[in-house]
Amino acid sequence: MIGISPGLAAPAAEPLLSLSQVTKRFGSFAALSEVSLDLRPGEVHCILGENGAGKSTLCNLIFGVHQPDGGVMRYRGTPFRPSGPADALAQGIAMVHQHFSLVGDMSVVDNVLLGRERGVLNRKGCARQLEKIAGDYGLPLDPFAKIEDLSVGERQRVEIVKCLIRDPQLFVLDEPTAVLLPDEISALLDVCRRVAASGRAVVLVTHKLAEIKKVADRVTVLRSGRTVASSSDPAGEIDALVRAMIQGNVEALDTSAASILGLEPVTHVGHAPAATARVEALQIDGLTVRDHQGVTRLDNFTLTVDRGEIVGVAGVEGNGQSELTAVLAGMMVATEGRIHLGATNLTGRSPKEITAAGVGIVPEDRHAVGCVLGVSLAENIYLNRLHEFTRFGFLNRAALEREASALMRRFDVRGRGPGSLFSSLSGGNQQKAVLAREITLPNLSCLVAAQPTRGLDVGAVAAVYSHIREACSRGIAVLLVSSELDELLTVADRIVVLYRGRIMGSCPADPARKEAIGAMMAGQPQ
Amino acid sequence: MTAANQGRPLPAAPRFSLRPALLVPVLAVAFAAGVGLLLIAMIGVSVPKAIAAFVEGAFGSPFALAASLNRSSVFALVGFGFVLANRANLTNVGGEGQIAVGGIAATAVALYGHVSGLPLGLAFILPTLAAVIAGALWGGFAAVLKVKSGTNEVISTLLLSFIGIWLLYWSVQSPLLLRKPMTSSATLPESLEIPEATQLPLLTGDYSFPVHIGLPLTLVLAIVVGVILSRTILGFRLRVVGLNPVAANRAGISYAKTVIFALSTAGAFGGLAGALMLLGEQYTLKDGFSSGYGFDGLVAGLLSRGSIPGVIAASLLFGFMRSGGINMEMVAAVPTALVAVIQGLIVITLAGAALFIEKWEGQ
Repeated sequence: MIGISPGLAAPAAEPLLSLSQVTKRFGSFAALSEVSLDLRPGEVHCILGENGAGKSTLCNLIFGVHQPDGGVMRYRGTPFRPSGPADALAQGIAMVHQHFSLVGDMSVVDNVLLGRERGVLNRKGCARQLEKIAGDYGLPLDPFAKIEDLSVGERQRVEIVKCLIRDPQLFVLDEPTAVLLPDEISALLDVCRRVAASGRAVVLVTHKLAEIKKVADRVTVLRSGRTVASSSDPAGEIDALVRAMIQGNVEALDTSAASILGLEPVTHVGHAPAATARVEALQIDGLTVRDHQGVTRLDNFTLTVDRGEIVGVAGVEGNGQSELTAVLAGMMVATEGRIHLGATNLTGRSPKEITAAGVGIVPEDRHAVGCVLGVSLAENIYLNRLHEFTRFGFLNRAALEREASALMRRFDVRGRGPGSLFSSLSGGNQQKAVLAREITLPNLSCLVAAQPTRGLDVGAVAAVYSHIREACSRGIAVLLVSSELDELLTVADRIVVLYRGRIMGSCPADPARKEAIGAMMAGQPQ
Repeated sequence: MTAANQGRPLPAAPRFSLRPALLVPVLAVAFAAGVGLLLIAMIGVSVPKAIAAFVEGAFGSPFALAASLNRSSVFALVGFGFVLANRANLTNVGGEGQIAVGGIAATAVALYGHVSGLPLGLAFILPTLAAVIAGALWGGFAAVLKVKSGTNEVISTLLLSFIGIWLLYWSVQSPLLLRKPMTSSATLPESLEIPEATQLPLLTGDYSFPVHIGLPLTLVLAIVVGVILSRTILGFRLRVVGLNPVAANRAGISYAKTVIFALSTAGAFGGLAGALMLLGEQYTLKDGFSSGYGFDGLVAGLLSRGSIPGVIAASLLFGFMRSGGINMEMVAAVPTALVAVIQGLIVITLAGAALFIEKWEGQ
């Protein structure tokens, strides 16, 4: 361990779970090497690290999804090697995964009972238990509500209750706050504290420093699969922890990226204002989307984005953002409404025509829409312009890879080369490649970026912001859709808030308005 | 001799290096053949006699060799079509019906298209083209169903096969269609023999070694398909649509066009295979004309795991096995069913070997 000397904590309790020198390899790749870690009863232990640092692998080892290749785990003093999640659960270890595993069509009680009972279901007994847990930990839930009628925050509560009802000794949460509203996040952190106070150990995986400051008793930092620092006074040593996480380079950190991580208070960075007077670029007029069941997903969305302006669309996920970007990308046909780019009518145009008109799209679901994992990096970078590298039907791969190499350098896309398989790139580099493709369209005049920094680490986030700002200073109109409010507050000029498909309100991207925007995101007009 | 030898290897093919990729299938075939011989011994047929009959039938004479090679071309063509469509993640199981409609079209044009007097080989080229078009329409119909209403192409191509097979039955049964004039009640339900000018020329011109021009044509097409799949924008589009149709659409690559191209090309290969069978070997259209060639070609395509050389290897294996098997049945009185069992064994061990190679290479 380097970096930080562990502060002298209170006489250490006997660890509940200890890992010593634990190694996990996938093929030749070591996801974790010689990781050592103690989890004590009554503490909230945060695992901090960038993407790909091995946080999820660590959780999966503890929960028995994977088995370590080297090292020893001890649980309550005896060697511990769970054969699978069921084994870990039986021994008192519970985990809330990043993605929910709930059956939408069933009630809360039924979801909690799933896999736990045989024969006759005792729904009433379970509901009573639920109410007790709800009271103990501050997790109010209607036991007979259907999952699909619940908000994301409530669904996560169900996941947590599902774990707590088993009375676990060790409670693992893998990046639980990614999809939550600000006040839901603080409620969740409060639950973590209460669970720890009841004498259990809580492991919280995160890359948000604000959460660590708030809730962590101890922090372990992972980088490239190794433990590089740990601290018993995380709030006091936060800078050193960050340095350890990103290899000692805080200065290089974009201030806006730092504020996303909670490292610095949010400050509006903005960009050089475009010299010209306002020129409308993207005009969206009364866009409405109704799905097959007739449910209105996007309701009369009207917005104008000027040249050289960044407009942020805020909102909790699932409030119409996906439909908005899908329509703008030509992947979905709007029920009503019009889209214009300057004088060009883009309503109902195909993706190909939209690209040709100069609209770059960074889709929210990179893997489903933005790229093809099974072909090369170069082919992905030029996926929509391959005809430029084609003669008599033959693809000139040499020229393609040469051009792609240039773009890889410009956008700092790190991979084994332009010919390497796209799936071999890390998420951040994949995203930079998609951004490179869309932002270098020859006649780009508008960029629609949806959740462009999701799942990216600090360095990649900073790179994405600087490219977006650079495009904007060239006079490109940018529509930035994000569920990270801090991101919008730092990057955008103006924010509109989507709630249940409607614009709840709009305001300048002023950090002082954060509370008001948060309230609009929750459906309260200001 | 194949596309893979022309410069760089095909992109999707080299999943495994050459050594285990060659050794394991050979061992698999040897193992299956051993089990087959054991079965033959168990039913009381002399094993040496059975082997002798198999060898005699497969390559014991110039005639047998030629018949085996002609069969192999048919399997290979269906296999190429399968591999091409499969690159777009489409599974064409309709080879049998595509062969049948190809045969019908070739017969119709050869007999009643007034082509036998045409110069420059048009006498046999036009019936062949007719077969290619018929096969392309048969495959393209399944593609249109898929694009318009999302019908799974496995189901549509399979069911279209049955329609094709029964169309063939109907056209040789009905005197209004292709059945030869009934002179007596003993007239067989088959077409007239096609005129000599419409038959495919033999390579040597000698009926004791009747390899027709289908073999070199197949080899040329192997190279063409290999180059299309590995070097052209067309092959790239097939691959992208197969891997991620949504991203392909976003990037401006038409899903509908690509699917229609892929399945109608696969169908065209089936139709061409039907033309080779009729114009090159059988000369009269009979009930049972396609006799499972489409399904064997499909298996060749499946076993190749997307590689053109793989299709050729599997097609040669099947071509020689079928010829040898027929002779084993006729000369050594090994029941047809047992020959089919041995063929099945070989397919299963080969497929298992492929899995084994993948596992072995994955480590």
